[in-house]
Amino acid sequence: MKTMLSRLGLNQKLALAAFVLGVLAIAASPYRGTTATIDTKALALEVATEADHVEPLDLAAWVIAGRADYRLVDLRGEPEFGQYQIPTAEHFPLATLMEAGLGRNEKIILYSDGGVHSAQAWLLLRASGYKAAYVLEGGLDEWKEQVLFPILAEHPNDFQRARDERLKSVAAFFGGQPRTGSRGGPVAMPMPGALPAPSVVGPASPGGARPAARKKKEGC
Amino acid sequence: MTTTTVDDLGVTAAGGTSVRAARRQAYMNPYLAGIGLGLTLLAAFVIMGRGLGASGAFSAVMAWIVHMVAPAHAQANEYIAGYIGDGSVSPLKSWLLFEVVGVFAGALLSGLLAHRVRWETERGPRVRVGLRMLMAFSGGLLMAFGAAFARGCTSGQALTGGALLNLGSWVFMLMVFAGGYALAYFVRWQWR
Amino acid sequence: MSAPFFKFGLFGDETSLVVAFVIGIAFGFFLERAGFGSARKLVSQFYLSDMAVFKVMFTAIVTAMLGVTYLGWIGFLDLSLVYLVPTYLAPQIVGGLVLGFGFVIGGYCPGTSVAASATGKLDGIAFVAGVFAGLFVFAEAYPLLKGFYESTPVGTVTMPQVFGLPYGLVVFAVVLMAIGGFYGASLVEKKFAAPAKE
Repeated sequence: MKTMLSRLGLNQKLALAAFVLGVLAIAASPYRGTTATIDTKALALEVATEADHVEPLDLAAWVIAGRADYRLVDLRGEPEFGQYQIPTAEHFPLATLMEAGLGRNEKIILYSDGGVHSAQAWLLLRASGYKAAYVLEGGLDEWKEQVLFPILAEHPNDFQRARDERLKSVAAFFGGQPRTGSRGGPVAMPMPGALPAPSVVGPASPGGARPAARKKKEGC
Repeated sequence: MTTTTVDDLGVTAAGGTSVRAARRQAYMNPYLAGIGLGLTLLAAFVIMGRGLGASGAFSAVMAWIVHMVAPAHAQANEYIAGYIGDGSVSPLKSWLLFEVVGVFAGALLSGLLAHRVRWETERGPRVRVGLRMLMAFSGGLLMAFGAAFARGCTSGQALTGGALLNLGSWVFMLMVFAGGYALAYFVRWQWR
Repeated sequence: MSAPFFKFGLFGDETSLVVAFVIGIAFGFFLERAGFGSARKLVSQFYLSDMAVFKVMFTAIVTAMLGVTYLGWIGFLDLSLVYLVPTYLAPQIVGGLVLGFGFVIGGYCPGTSVAASATGKLDGIAFVAGVFAGLFVFAEAYPLLKGFYESTPVGTVTMPQVFGLPYGLVVFAVVLMAIGGFYGASLVEKKFAAPAKE
């Protein structure tokens, strides 16, 4: 065997190596497919420390500031998205999320009506290697409670007054209406359908066109 | 790599073999060069998640020039606007363009090491310099159309897509060889 | 650690340009080493006297293909994150043909013309100028050409998907084809060896 090998020239040796590697590769399936493995402990720790959350008021501040370093993903169905969406949101229903072309290194904020769907989507994304996926705390329900229709104090002290002013301006930006009274009580909240579509001023333009327009052609 | 010094191009001037020509090294074993090229391509896949390319860099520079000269015209053209994006990033800040600048540097380095760098026009003995330049220019012109339609050239489509078993790349590659062989006979006078 | 590093956010856009430059150096170095800075060497492929283009190209394809296959197999490289150019059959068939014409007329392709320009080939520089001119004309004519440019889209598909074969089997077939081709090329070269140098 050794003498046979030594009799081969360099080119023949290379061809032999390629052949052997080619034969071994017959069994190979390099595409990972749709299965994924997760580090359960690391993810559990993230959930426990609430490092996976974004507060509605923080998100509101980012939208107002026109920040472009995140992708806001609306996971609900088409009709719901048509009725109301948080400005700058892109619409990817849960079933299409994995093919949505989101970057593994992008900051992705997920929301649905409540928290269930976005939490499930968060797990799928994290398991597939998306490093910076976050859930909007409480989903759209909490967005309404805290951003669109915040509860102002009935007899505010100085500290509350300053806070309420801020809440009012935020709510006004998104086309909402602050209310007074205790939380959970009967409040006149207009249904999402009746909500006027808030017009966003500032650099943030709605929809997925924003990251796509910046991206130039990737191929040759 | 062999280091024998031969004049493998046969471009010696009538005045006899120049010293510089004689010092030109033979080219590398094609299979070893191919492995080097393949490992470079693999590095691009592993580090960047994309392959090599060349024509995209030309497009970026072309888009930049048009944008400099006539910004409104560039924005109105869908093809050029695709390279300019929303204007927040210069089209020159393109991955492929930086790669191609590297190609220039790498080729110069290799050429210097092998004593192969010098001003010359490669042509057959019966072809005037002007005619050869015209042919080269026309070839580039045609190639631009081919590369634009095919969404890539020999580097971006054939090499990169070939290694990824991309359907379009293999179709493209077969057609490049078909086109080359089909026309070769009619332009053989260039090299004879 | 997982690859592709860039897609997993190990470094940003600015660093990626440095990576591009370094990878380009290696690319250009091996192109020139192989002799691809010379139009005479490149077109010899089409006159069957020197099959270096085929040898270098397919060795590179086989090397990178095997690398991708094995790195993907062991789970290091997520191949679904590696960019694939979408297939548009008709424009890519015509584009390939036209590019082949341009190759044999001009003597270079875009990448090799840069390597040729770097080593002082004036015809390489003329070719580069031709590419710029051609791209400009293409862009100007794009409204007319767009219909054909976007015709027959097939999406991003690989040959294993098209033929319904296991990925590894296609890899093996390509390796076999390449080795067979290399052997054939050596025979062809002997038969069509360049006449004695003038």
